[in-house]
Amino acid sequence: MSTYNREDTKLLFAELQRTGDQTYREELARLHLPLVEYLAKRFKDRGEPLDDLVQVGSVGLLKAIDRFDLDRGVEFSTYATPTIVGELKRYFRDKGWAVRVPRRLQELSLRLNKIIAQLTQDLGRSPTVSEIAKMAEVTEEEVLEALESGQAYSTTSLDAPSGDDDDAPLRVDRIGQEDFRLENLEYFASLAPLIEQLPERERTILYLRFFKGMTQSKIAEHVGISQMHVSRLLTRILEFLREGMEGDAEY
Amino acid sequence: MVKVPPTAGHLALLRTAVGGFAARDHFTLDQVDDLRMAVEESAVQLLRHATGDFITLEVKATEPGVEVRVHAEVAGSEPVIDESSFSWTILRALADDLRIEMQQGHATIVLTKHRINVTSGPHR
Repeated sequence: MSTYNREDTKLLFAELQRTGDQTYREELARLHLPLVEYLAKRFKDRGEPLDDLVQVGSVGLLKAIDRFDLDRGVEFSTYATPTIVGELKRYFRDKGWAVRVPRRLQELSLRLNKIIAQLTQDLGRSPTVSEIAKMAEVTEEEVLEALESGQAYSTTSLDAPSGDDDDAPLRVDRIGQEDFRLENLEYFASLAPLIEQLPERERTILYLRFFKGMTQSKIAEHVGISQMHVSRLLTRILEFLREGMEGDAEY
Repeated sequence: MVKVPPTAGHLALLRTAVGGFAARDHFTLDQVDDLRMAVEESAVQLLRHATGDFITLEVKATEPGVEVRVHAEVAGSEPVIDESSFSWTILRALADDLRIEMQQGHATIVLTKHRINVTSGPHR
């Protein structure tokens, strides 16, 4: 794990602001990943895989990096914390966590998460409700109930390729090499400025789903997050683009 | 058939309805999600042109899968979605087949999704 160093952070920001070189942005993200992990752990009792929470928090981190201004004279970690926590809170809010899910359903959901991941791997595609029910030895209605409680669409996060070594790069970095071409989308002239506002991972997901025709499960595997998370991000991206076409929107 | 007022707040109902149907009808979770997104996108587009009191959703089980019809009363007879739009691209990616029926103040977006053959076992 990189040792956190305030001077390094300042230098990196100075270089990033001077050159605009994205390598510095990535380095800053890597340097502050432990902060994201620390904050994500505070939400870990709510039934979501920690990996997903770290991914969500990383989005907040990248936003904070992009908005941080050295001249403000505050420490970056102080500045970034509310943004990261805000992103995590928003994630739970979007999921409708205000609704209490009965414990029985929560437990079933967690079990289904694993079964769905297993089936996705075995079948090479996303499973159907009846396949899940069969393997879980519960009724289809019980599966539907658990799915509708909004927790169990998750497929690959538990078995996602390891990225948890302390010195492994952010998964967000890995998809940076994806052959994503903004030109493919520039045809939709009014959308281009909106798409530019999306974080790289979101752009990649958008591209893979709608221009490459990749399924959510495949994208999940590719990007290293759960299918449920891909689904949620896609919904949010489309919402953002729709709002953006109408007027003002902020991703 | 589900009928809701043409306001953004009611579209979630259509999304949920089609998702519930598809999940019970042996579609994979990916496909269930595709259908939900496709219905939402269709309804959003109809919403922009809707002049009547309702947006309706009709779901029909067919031999290869499911046919979903999202309908609204609209002004004029210009197609509600331009084929060069992003919206069309999205719908094309989500549905196996897509068409828009326009006739005298009525617009219907017809989406079909084919069930994949789930009888095949693990292929590894």
